[in-house]
Amino acid sequence: MAKTYDYLFKLLLIGDSGVGKTCLLFRFSEDAFNTTFISTIGIDFKIRTIELDGKKIKLQIWDTAGQERFRTITTAYYRGAMGIMLVYDITNEKSFDNIKNWIRNIEEHASSDVERMILGNKCDMNEKRQVSKEKGEKLAIDYGIKFLETSAKSSINVEEAFFTLARDIMTKLNRKMNDNSSPGAGGPVKITENRSKKSSFFRCTLL
Amino acid sequence: MEPAAAPRSPGAGDLVCARGRNRKAVLCQRCGSRVLLPGAATFARRELFLPSMKKKTALLASNSPDGDMLQDHWLVDDMFSFENIGFTKDVGNVKFLICADCEIGPIGWHCLDDKKSFYIALDRVSHE
Repeated sequence: MAKTYDYLFKLLLIGDSGVGKTCLLFRFSEDAFNTTFISTIGIDFKIRTIELDGKKIKLQIWDTAGQERFRTITTAYYRGAMGIMLVYDITNEKSFDNIKNWIRNIEEHASSDVERMILGNKCDMNEKRQVSKEKGEKLAIDYGIKFLETSAKSSINVEEAFFTLARDIMTKLNRKMNDNSSPGAGGPVKITENRSKKSSFFRCTLL
Repeated sequence: MEPAAAPRSPGAGDLVCARGRNRKAVLCQRCGSRVLLPGAATFARRELFLPSMKKKTALLASNSPDGDMLQDHWLVDDMFSFENIGFTKDVGNVKFLICADCEIGPIGWHCLDDKKSFYIALDRVSHE
């Protein structure tokens, strides 16, 4: 069958063990039903379809599958990744401090133009909070990366996080396409398709 | 595979269109998550064993896990034909397919030896 989608993005979740990556990414819905069988084998990746500005986007989302315990995340895992969620747990300062190490790891092993986003997960557990929201925001600003606090458990900002990352990847791709198409080269040049109605948080200023 | 074969699942006849494709959308029985759009898959018959979807039964520990031998499936040749789906880690050379949202499963089966076949069991999903 002909392809029925416009974009395909491979996304990764990175962060210390126990920060809730698996829940976060692997579930948009809190209401999970893991049989013993499924939780014993474990989940490798998921495919999700979302729509952004009328474009159909397939997301293939990978968890590190525990490799992070051994700090063995290397080039193979990052291969082809277009977006990375850096996840820490707001109730665990160490996991926040380690975000810098993860960023370094990404810089060493991932493609240099991979889109990144920092997520402070478990924001439903405010009473145990060790990392203030301001601290998270500050770190993100220092690196020029977007930031959200999320709760996989309460389904806060989880979808938003994925939509935001996907949108940033799409924007970057479109920009590249426009840059690459020299005038008169004959290829179709995509111009300003979008000043759309749904642009409530459409941040793209060029195109 | 016998594309022209009639499905054996109760009521499955209405689900297959004249071209052998799924007439209706394929959804998770439990949470309604969309697995396949109408027309995205072809009907295929093949005997496949899927472990039970019921909680806390079964298991890996015992030699013969609870489950069903299932005949009627939706088949796609590209994993990106799915709207939403989860893949388990490898069990031998097989990956089981689960609901991407509520993670119930297995609802389907994929063998790593055949990169172009992904099966969803008719009995393990609902149709709308």
